[in-house]
This record gives sequence, structure tokens and C-alpha cells, in this order.
Amino acid sequence: MKTLIKVVAFALCAIAWGAQAQVTLNVVSAGDQNMVDYVTNYLGPKFEQLNPGVKVRAVGTGPGDSGSQKIYEKLSAQSKANVKEWDIDVAVVHQRGAATMVKESLLSPYRNQVAAGKLTSRETATNALGQNVDGYVIPMFHSQIALAYVPDLVKTPPKTFSELTAWTKANPKQFGYNGVKGGMSGVGFVMGWVAADGANMEKLEKGPYDASQKAPIDKAMADLKEFNKNVVLTPGNAGTLDMLNRGEIAMGPVWVDMFYTWQADGRLNPKIKLTLLSPGLPGQPMYYVVPKNAAHAELAKKFIDLAASPEVQADGIVKQFNWYPGIDPQYVQAKLDPASWNRLFTDISPGDLSKYGRPFPLSEYFTDILEAYERVVSK
Amino acid sequence: MSSAAEQSSPRATWAGMALVSPALLVIVVFFLGPLLASVVSSFQTKAGAWTLANFDKSFELYSGDVWYTAVIVLVSTLVVGLMSVAIGGYLTLGTNPRAQGVLRWLYRWPLFIPFIVAGQVMRTFLAKNGLLNQLLIGSGILEPLAAQSYLDWRGIVLAFVWKQTPFVALMVAGAMAAIESDHIEAARNLGAGRLRILFEIIIPQIRRTLMVGLVLSYVTMLSVLSVPMMINPNSPTMMTVDVAYRINAHGDYGVANALCLISLLLASVGAWFYLRHGVARKGVQ
Repeated sequence: MKTLIKVVAFALCAIAWGAQAQVTLNVVSAGDQNMVDYVTNYLGPKFEQLNPGVKVRAVGTGPGDSGSQKIYEKLSAQSKANVKEWDIDVAVVHQRGAATMVKESLLSPYRNQVAAGKLTSRETATNALGQNVDGYVIPMFHSQIALAYVPDLVKTPPKTFSELTAWTKANPKQFGYNGVKGGMSGVGFVMGWVAADGANMEKLEKGPYDASQKAPIDKAMADLKEFNKNVVLTPGNAGTLDMLNRGEIAMGPVWVDMFYTWQADGRLNPKIKLTLLSPGLPGQPMYYVVPKNAAHAELAKKFIDLAASPEVQADGIVKQFNWYPGIDPQYVQAKLDPASWNRLFTDISPGDLSKYGRPFPLSEYFTDILEAYERVVSK
Repeated sequence: MSSAAEQSSPRATWAGMALVSPALLVIVVFFLGPLLASVVSSFQTKAGAWTLANFDKSFELYSGDVWYTAVIVLVSTLVVGLMSVAIGGYLTLGTNPRAQGVLRWLYRWPLFIPFIVAGQVMRTFLAKNGLLNQLLIGSGILEPLAAQSYLDWRGIVLAFVWKQTPFVALMVAGAMAAIESDHIEAARNLGAGRLRILFEIIIPQIRRTLMVGLVLSYVTMLSVLSVPMMINPNSPTMMTVDVAYRINAHGDYGVANALCLISLLLASVGAWFYLRHGVARKGVQ
């Protein structure tokens, strides 16, 4: 019996000692599974290696804005309950989520306290759907929605939305997108459609919010309803890629990073190509943010500093996960071999990307457009 | 327990209450409380003022989906009923022991498959160039050009029926097996065919079990999110998808709760049947 007590006591001491030596950094990420994989398989181990005694725990909250919404709800609840130390150290969120969190002052203005914070250049580092987020965010990567097409079936891909409409009339049920309830590639297509069809794109992207845009939005939706008669609605972002792959549709909007990853994994016909439409399709960054009362704020900053460093952006973000870099590309390109860099721009040139890669509309317009879609198109 | 009323002393009552209270507490805290909060919030604006706007918006945008949901769930319930009676009937009255054995072994499998997996399976099975159409085309039954996708209401109904039939069939087959064989023998001696025995002798005796099984299936199907999400999240779609969408895309709990309340009304139709026919006669025999 005595031996048993000794063993148990020893074991407890060992556990207590272990727990003391280990600090757990909670990284909570919205987005698809690949976001969690990125932290679990790539970034986490790298950080643990550089910081002995630290354990990175990656948690995913699910794809789309709903993933960010869950993080927001958790932070908001902890804030309202006056909790001193919040249990999310680093969060990865979408633009809408970041905008709300900054507005309700749930985040810490950490960007100027990290070295990598000086490497950001795109407008999205300071502005998220009309909300000033300067100082609170560092983009992890940018992703872009583009039109994927099967070259055997589409000899000359459309260049504008009106060319696309004409193409769907000639090839009914050969274009597919996932509506507004099945993921952001469908939502993005709808946003692009509105900007192309009469609404004031400048106003939608830069603001200020003007309710008079509702009329052109409704008109664009009426046209989209016509357009929908000749197209297929797919079940989700992956659903569009699946249907392209099975040859059920010849064209559809997809996320560029998903597209390249699926091709690299052999899950997608390597012949399928990408193109952008004029006046543009939206893209968005995911942001690294640090909650205001994060329990391990210093460690969190260190983590983001690593994540946003040119080396990690080159090797992890671009080379392994096929995202466009979050920081200024010039720093990243310098760290990459030309082949890896060029692979990212096989189908869409950097010039086209900067011309036709648009931000999403302001939150208020975003909501107006989604509601108009349900009111006009879905009915 | 027949004379429970006479035996109960104040002390026994208190002991009884104490025994029930943990369960009661769980129901009040985790079920009734949230339910009440949900109902209240469906009549409130985000600022907390009383309003009917959430219901206006629900009907403006989603009245089609309410009907779509009701029809899908009712059709599925009906088909589940027919299929489970057919399976139970064959297990009770069939004459080929080997076929019965195979059926008995096979029919329960979907019970152990989660809804989300059923949805995922159907998504590749029923697609335009999916497994089903490939099989039909390969065997010459279907022209390649006539192939179409079943990923609409038909896909949802098929997934529901596939998933829920075993559950009801299990209950029905059990009840059928419990019927005294004298009844069936007597009918057979008097010259009744198997169909007649099924419809005139067996079903009347198991109809309460059948109904309870169907009501439970009806309510379950009403609440499934994964299947419509996987098969057809576009419009028209089932209300569960709309509820998730209102919360996820808009953070709009008001309309989401209003939709939940409408869904609750649909479910309460099932509850009414259940209480009237199930519990009133002391439940499943």
C-alpha cells in the first residue's frame, strides 16, 4: 500500500511539474479545415520548436462568417462577464468578424508592437468592409474567388459578366454556383454580379453607406433571377469543385486556394483552369487578431510575428497552402524559388489580380445584397 | 402501483419529489428555460423592444421554405410508414426463411449511420454523374443525356426514408412478432391471403406502435440540419438551413427564433398525435 501511495504521489508531482512547465497558447481559427491543419501541422510545431515549454493548441470554429461569429460570441460573452483573462490568445477571423470585434473593442491594438506588422501594404490591413481596423489586424493571407472552367468545354472563357450571361444562354445548366447559403464562393459571385450590374461599385466598396443603392441592387437581383434559370445551384464551395470534376458543369466560381490545393492533392482534374471576370470578383484576407484580455498576450504577439514573417509567409502560406501572401508580396517573393512563386500566378497574372480582385462590399451593403437575394431571387 | 394514491403519505410525496427533482431541474434549466428565452426573443428587436417584425420577415422570405419543409417531412413520414410495414410484414409473414434472414440482417444498418454521413453518401450517389446514374446508364436503363441530378427534394426525401425506415421498422417488426400467432393461424385457416392478414389482422393490432414510431421520425426529420445542408442548401430548402443561415450570416437571432417557433408549431402537430394516441393509452405496448 505504501508503495502505491508513493507511486501516486510521484505521478501527481510529475503531472503538476509538467503542467507548470507547459504554457498552452490557444489559437482559435475560423475557416475551413485547412486553416486548422495549417496551425496544427505547420505553424504550431514550428513555434513550439522555437519556444520550448509552449504548447500550441489549434481549435477550428467552422467555415465562413459563422466561424468568426462563434469567436465573436465567445469574446463578447467573456467581456460582458468581466472575465479577467480570456482563453483565446490568437484568433484568426474574417473581415466581418474583425470589423465587429474592433467596433465593440474586443481586440488589442498589437500590430505596431510586432516587427512583421511593418510589412503589410494592402488596404485590407487597415480597412475591413468599411471599418477602420488599423493597428488591430495583420492579414494571414489573401484569398480570391475566381471562375474555374474546363478548357475542353469552354474554348474562350468569358471576360465579363455579360459575356458569361450570353454563354449560359447558349449552354444552359453548364454554369454552377452555390447560391448564398452554401458558402462564400457563391456569395462572392453574387457580390460581383451586383457590382457589374448597375450598382455603384465605388460606393459599395468604400462607402459611405447609402440606402438609395437598394434600388439598383434589387434590379441586379431581378436580372440574376433570369440568369439563374440557365444555371445550376451547387451544394457548397466543395460542391462546385466536385461538380466541375465530375463534368456536370463546365464553369463555376471557386476559391483560388481551394482550387490549387485540390489540384495538388489530385482531387481535381489538372486540366481545369481559372480566370477572373471584369469588373471583378471579390477576395478577402483572414486576419490574425489578439483579443483585448488574452491570457498570454505577449506569447500571442510572438506567435503572430513568426506567422507573418516573410519566411513563413513564403514557405507555409504560398508554397504549402497556395494562398496569396498576407504581407507585401515583395518580401515574400524574395524568399521563394521562382517556380513556387509562378505556380500561384499560372492562370491569373498579378496584374489581373490587382485589377479584378476586389474587396467585398461594406457590411451594410453586404447584408442588403444577401437580403435582396432572398427576397427577389429565391422567391 | 394500483393503489398508489391511497398509500401516499406526505413523507412519501416529499421523497418522490426529491427523486424526481434532478431530472426536473435538468428539464427546467436546459430545456424550458432556453425554450422560453427563444420564444421571447422571437418577439423582440435586437434592442429588446416588442415587435412582430421577425415573423413578418420570416413569412416574407421563408414561407416557401415552411411549406417545402412540411411537405418533405410529411411525404417522408408516409413513405417510411409504408416501407416499415412492408419490412415488418415480410419478416412476420414471409415464407422464405433465407430471404427473411437476409432482410433481418440488412434492414437495420442505416440505424447506425449518422445523418451527416447519410447526407454525404447521397450527395455523391445521387449527383447527375453520380453512382446511381452511372449504374443506370451502364446497365442500359438510362440514356446518358437523360441523366439528371436528384439533389433536390427527392434527394432529401430519399436520405430521410433511408435513415428513418429501420428505426420504425424495428419497432413495428417487434410489435408484429409479439402478436399471438393464433390470430394469424386462425385467419390463415379461414383462407385469408397474406396481404389480407397484414392489413386486417396485424396492422390494426400494431397501429399504435406504428404511429409512435412515425411521430418520433417526423419530429426527428423536422430538426435535421445536416441532410438538407449537404444535399440542397439553396432555395427552396428546409427551415433548419434558414435558421442556421440567419444566425451564421446575419447574427440575427430574432428571425432565427421566429423560424424555430414556426418549426415548433409543425412539430407540435406530431406531439398532439403522440399524446392523443400514444400516451393516452399508456404508450407502446
